[in-house]
Amino acid sequence: MYRDIFKEEHIILRESLKRFVENEIVPHVDRWEEERSIPKEIFKQMGEMGYLGIRHPVEYGGSGGDIFMTLVLAEEIARCRSAGVMAAVTMHTDMASPHLARKGNREQKQKYLTRIISGEIRCGIAVTEPDAGSDVAGIKTTARRNGDSYLLNGSKMFITNGYNAEILFVAAKTSPEAGHRGISIFIVEKDTYGFSAKKLEKMGWLASDTAELTFEDCRIPRENLLGEENRGFYYIMNNFQDERLVISAICVSHAQQAMDDTIAYAQQRQTFGKSLSEHQAIRHKRAAIALQIEAGRQLVYHAARMYAWGLDRSKEISICKAFCAEMINRVAYDCLQIHGGFGYMKEYPIERMYRDVRVWSIGGGATEVMKNDIAKRLNI
Amino acid sequence: MKICVCVKHVPDSAAKITIKGKNQFDESINFILNPYDEHAVEEAVRVKKQVGDSEVIAVSVGKKDAINTLRSALAMGADRAILIKTNIRADSVITSRALKAAIGQDGKPDIIFTGKASIDNEGFQTMYRLAAALNMSVASNVIAFSLDQERVLVECEMEADARGIIDMPLPCVIGTSKGLNKPSYPTLPAIMKAKKKEVKIIDLESLAIEKPMSSIEILELKPAVEERSSKELKGQPEEVVMQLIRVLREEAKVL
Ligand SMILES: Cc1cc2nc3c(=O)[nH]c(=O)nc-3n(C[C@H](O)[C@H](O)[C@H](O)COP(=O)(O)OP(=O)(O)OC[C@H]3O[C@@H](n4cnc5c(N)ncnc54)[C@H](O)[C@@H]3O)c2cc1C
Repeated sequence: MYRDIFKEEHIILRESLKRFVENEIVPHVDRWEEERSIPKEIFKQMGEMGYLGIRHPVEYGGSGGDIFMTLVLAEEIARCRSAGVMAAVTMHTDMASPHLARKGNREQKQKYLTRIISGEIRCGIAVTEPDAGSDVAGIKTTARRNGDSYLLNGSKMFITNGYNAEILFVAAKTSPEAGHRGISIFIVEKDTYGFSAKKLEKMGWLASDTAELTFEDCRIPRENLLGEENRGFYYIMNNFQDERLVISAICVSHAQQAMDDTIAYAQQRQTFGKSLSEHQAIRHKRAAIALQIEAGRQLVYHAARMYAWGLDRSKEISICKAFCAEMINRVAYDCLQIHGGFGYMKEYPIERMYRDVRVWSIGGGATEVMKNDIAKRLNI
Repeated sequence: MKICVCVKHVPDSAAKITIKGKNQFDESINFILNPYDEHAVEEAVRVKKQVGDSEVIAVSVGKKDAINTLRSALAMGADRAILIKTNIRADSVITSRALKAAIGQDGKPDIIFTGKASIDNEGFQTMYRLAAALNMSVASNVIAFSLDQERVLVECEMEADARGIIDMPLPCVIGTSKGLNKPSYPTLPAIMKAKKKEVKIIDLESLAIEKPMSSIEILELKPAVEERSSKELKGQPEEVVMQLIRVLREEAKVL
């Protein structure tokens, strides 16, 4: 299917990933959920397979692949039924490291990107703060020039991989009075003096570590400024495009997995003398789920094609993210409903999926923010 | 050393097969490299690494789409590939003749690896026919393989719990089974590299192979119906036994 976008190499990659997920991820998911993080070893394994540098440049160990390969990665890993695993991995590959790949200089890429791609070090991106989430321009963390370095002060909230990552890309104000034109991004190493991280407990995404970060006179060498000073806001907005497309693809795949599991359950569950799947109300519900997933998939593939053609797809990606994140929530709700009481029990994956998907309509640009953006772009 | 590995493009065992008409099925489903052939590719690449200065050539008989399967073999480490293109549904006779002709054209190899069977037709014959046509030694169901200079030592699964050990000279044809090795999944850099490797396409007709005296034609495809349901027999033990005998005789027809 979709032979215009998935060619031989995508099919082989999908096959390879399918097995990797089946053999190296699925058997450990429950344990990782309990441990509240995925082991460093799995990053190394994924690095060896080339999964962590799909679109990154070949000279730093990446594969120089295309957006459709990234979709394959997102779709197949989402099949492990743990969005926490998914978040830890895609944060590293598609939300944090692209900042370095795009804006880093040679030395920075040599030093960090090569090791990010090989899985030797993990990374994350820290923008959100206790007092500023959707409103990125409102962040308060500051980076003051001090000789050959910057002094970082402030705190960050809800940072994925924030506790385990060896490096973080941190947004801070270099010109506080300049609003969104005063933000810069810094590469911060985990053991920098003055930096600390505290794990947060949450509703879902249990296999991903989420942390609150504190910076107290944290000295960042000048060479760790990413790109140009005061251009950080634009870098963040630019990468949101990619990030939201990947999130949307994850939502579609996660929804598909939930539906597949639910169909299998409904076929074997008997009520009133026949299998659940034979009741018309359930058949309708299944059809309604299937058509929502299909609509989401088409939006994702449409935006990805525009991406591949080099067209401006800002509006399409906002539409995608708004639709898919809400869609997966409705789908998870309906799938759990079809499971009945068993769906509420931990032994069924739908219980985890239902908790996991809630955050998609909040993180990476909340639905309301996406709608604001769509309205702006439609001039309404 | 020259090593050939024969691979087939087969429907994914996890895919849902929908029969179309009398003897066709919907081929828009996912197709894969025949699982037994994966062991063949893996072993070929391993032998290549062991011997050094060797070449692994993947060969397939199939439709144009079989090129995907050849690319998988290339991503697993084969060096180049040959597709013998045909739209006919080749049986073991045609397949082995086509393979013989194409492999012969390319230059006779020292070892040919094949899977012990393809999961779609399960003919279990191609490796024997190919070996006979090329006048090479053959062993199938191979679960252990070692090469020492000009000789090959293999362990084959015979009947249940029986294993045969065969010592044979090169050149030879080896039909690989599941226990032989653990096929690795290709890394992304290997997949990207495979894109650039050569795939030569030969039309089956151009090989002008001798028409076999007999061949297999699939007249009809039917889904395998697996209907199992439980049945409770009630009553005194003697009555239950009588009922059971009746069921076994009249319904299951095994007595
Ligand atoms: C599990 C998890 C992981 C995360 N990982 C990261 C990470 O790695 N890095 C990072 O930087 N951030 C991360 N975040 C933060 C995430 O991006 C923010 O939560 C998100 O941007 C929303 O910001 P907020 O929580 O401050 O909500 P707020 O901005 O306070 O918004 C609260 C509500 O009001 C709505 N709202 C806000 N503004 C408007 C408006 N103008 N009009 C109408 N409605 C509005 C929002 O949509 C939302 O529903 C993570 C969050 C979670 C929960």
